[in-house]
Amino acid sequence: MAADPARPPGSPRAQMPHLRKMERVVVSMQDPDQGVKMRSQRLLVTVIPHAVTGRDVVQWLAQKFCVSEEEALHLGAVLVLHGYIYPLRDPRSLVLRPDETPYRFQECYDRLHKKISHVWDLVLMQAREQLRAAKQRRKGDRLVIAFQEQTYWLVNRPPPGAPSVLEQGPERGSRTASHVHMTKSADFYTREIEYCRRALGRTRVKSSVCLEAYLSFCDQHGPHDPLVSGCLPSNPWISDDDAYWVMNAPTVAAPTKLRVERWGFSFKELLEDPMGRAHFMDFLGKEFSGENLSFWEACEELRYGAQAQVPTLVDAVYQQFLAPGAARWVNIDSRTMERTLEGLRQPHRYVLDAAQLHIYMLMKKDSYPRFLKSDIYRGLLAEAGILLETKRRVFPFTRRPRRSSPSPALLPTPVEPTAASGPAGGDGVA
Amino acid sequence: MAREECKALLDGLNKTTACYHHLVLTVGGSADSQNLRQELQKTRQKAQELAVATCSRLTAVLRDRGLAADERAEFERLWVAFSGCLDLLEADMRRALDLGAAFPLHAPRRPLVCTGVAGASSGVAARALSTRSLRLEAEGDFDVADLRELEREVLQVGEMIDNMEMKVNVPRWTVQARQAPGAELLSTVGAGPSSVVSVEERQGGFDPRKALAAILFAAVLLAAVALAVCVAKLS
Repeated sequence: MAADPARPPGSPRAQMPHLRKMERVVVSMQDPDQGVKMRSQRLLVTVIPHAVTGRDVVQWLAQKFCVSEEEALHLGAVLVLHGYIYPLRDPRSLVLRPDETPYRFQECYDRLHKKISHVWDLVLMQAREQLRAAKQRRKGDRLVIAFQEQTYWLVNRPPPGAPSVLEQGPERGSRTASHVHMTKSADFYTREIEYCRRALGRTRVKSSVCLEAYLSFCDQHGPHDPLVSGCLPSNPWISDDDAYWVMNAPTVAAPTKLRVERWGFSFKELLEDPMGRAHFMDFLGKEFSGENLSFWEACEELRYGAQAQVPTLVDAVYQQFLAPGAARWVNIDSRTMERTLEGLRQPHRYVLDAAQLHIYMLMKKDSYPRFLKSDIYRGLLAEAGILLETKRRVFPFTRRPRRSSPSPALLPTPVEPTAASGPAGGDGVA
Repeated sequence: MAREECKALLDGLNKTTACYHHLVLTVGGSADSQNLRQELQKTRQKAQELAVATCSRLTAVLRDRGLAADERAEFERLWVAFSGCLDLLEADMRRALDLGAAFPLHAPRRPLVCTGVAGASSGVAARALSTRSLRLEAEGDFDVADLRELEREVLQVGEMIDNMEMKVNVPRWTVQARQAPGAELLSTVGAGPSSVVSVEERQGGFDPRKALAAILFAAVLLAAVALAVCVAKLS
């Protein structure tokens, strides 16, 4: 039973199966209907709850496993030795007495020892010292304090589902878990005031405005959403035809019309789409303001790139875009430029944020509207093909000319003539 | 030898922490008083001194690269015990702060809980400070200033723990327990089983001591009765 580090590695594994068997026995012993009869033992004044007598244990074991009483006694003694049951009166003797001496169940002592083995010695040391300290008091006080502590831990034990501290690692150095009531000094109050002031100053949008914007967003993006308006040419998950994915790949020579239309919704959409960005770069090249977009891209790379590259990247960006007389000098206003130059002395990944934002707004307000009116864009829009359904038939009376697969968002419609369901059926729709 | 010194310091810290824990349990109860608060302050100051001394010794030893493996293992074991002690001390100090703030002693109507603890705790404090007896007289508003000090000291101990963690890296899983799981129950040295159980033991069943006392009493009573009868006969 000793936790001996010099134990050969084979034996822990050999011990496990029989520990598990013992555990099963102990669990069945605690079963409220069929287990050992638990009583509350009454000593002269106090009542001990949840105790079992040695005799009950032996009888139960003999009955359950149909063995002789001697064997049951031995089995019970093994259980006590391993710490599953402990005697209440005489905690020093690990012997099962087949009489009225009370016993109680507990978590396997061995397991506990293994789990907290690194603090076991400290626990024992502290316990001994605490007992010696307690001896300095009157007996009555000792009793009261001991009961008080027991009740405290009984009340404050974690609820059944809480993670056990023996399974988690100890949270070292996390001082955030403390709820000490510190005195409220002037410092504390100034911080509170600052926080409340900032909270008041947050921009708030009225829900009417907000909801209108939400509705207009849904209206605008509705036809572009494959779940809401079905996807052309056909839903690959249903028809096993991946033309949809091929045609909407990030870099494809001929973007679909829907995609090109989406670039017109907002500048963000345009920049997020790689094809859109490429065409925008071409347009800017024609207008001789391509360095703006290059600068913006370089800043993005800095923000999301590797930490080790940050100093070199900042240097490169400065040399190429920000230094006076640089090859591709970007036009930033003086205040932002001052702040950026100051920040460049201690470069980190967000040091170019102000400049990046300035350039972004410049492009958005200036170049983007011109791009949308430009020939490049109009040409793309005209060229982009509307995706046709596979096996297209012209039926002027079909209610859903564009959809070839049932959209889950639509309500079920009445049965159409078999001619109309022909193309749909042709795609293998169930 | 460094090891003995560290062990002695650690034992002292252990004893003081245990006494402090015991004293904190009665804060806010019926035995609370300014004296108790003063005893608490003295005990925790002693504990802190010991902690600082142990910390510096152990850190100095463990940061020394040229330490033999088994010596290092020994010191690591002491380190783990020491950091556990510090954690307990910090938790007890926080508890004292919470309870002390919740039960102010200088308010006109003292809102103390009637826990039934009546005796003095000077014995425990004397044990903590390793003196024979302790006689303290605290002023009427000792606890107010004491609370502020306590707050500062809690933060100090927290900082000490953090510094300790930074300076020395001791993986706790490498430390194994020295004592077998049931050994403390079989040992006859040191404190016996919990006083609660022993009290129950004495209350239940047939106690030879009680029987002896009863017999003696009966004998004395008989002798007294016999003497009285003789006196009555003679007179």
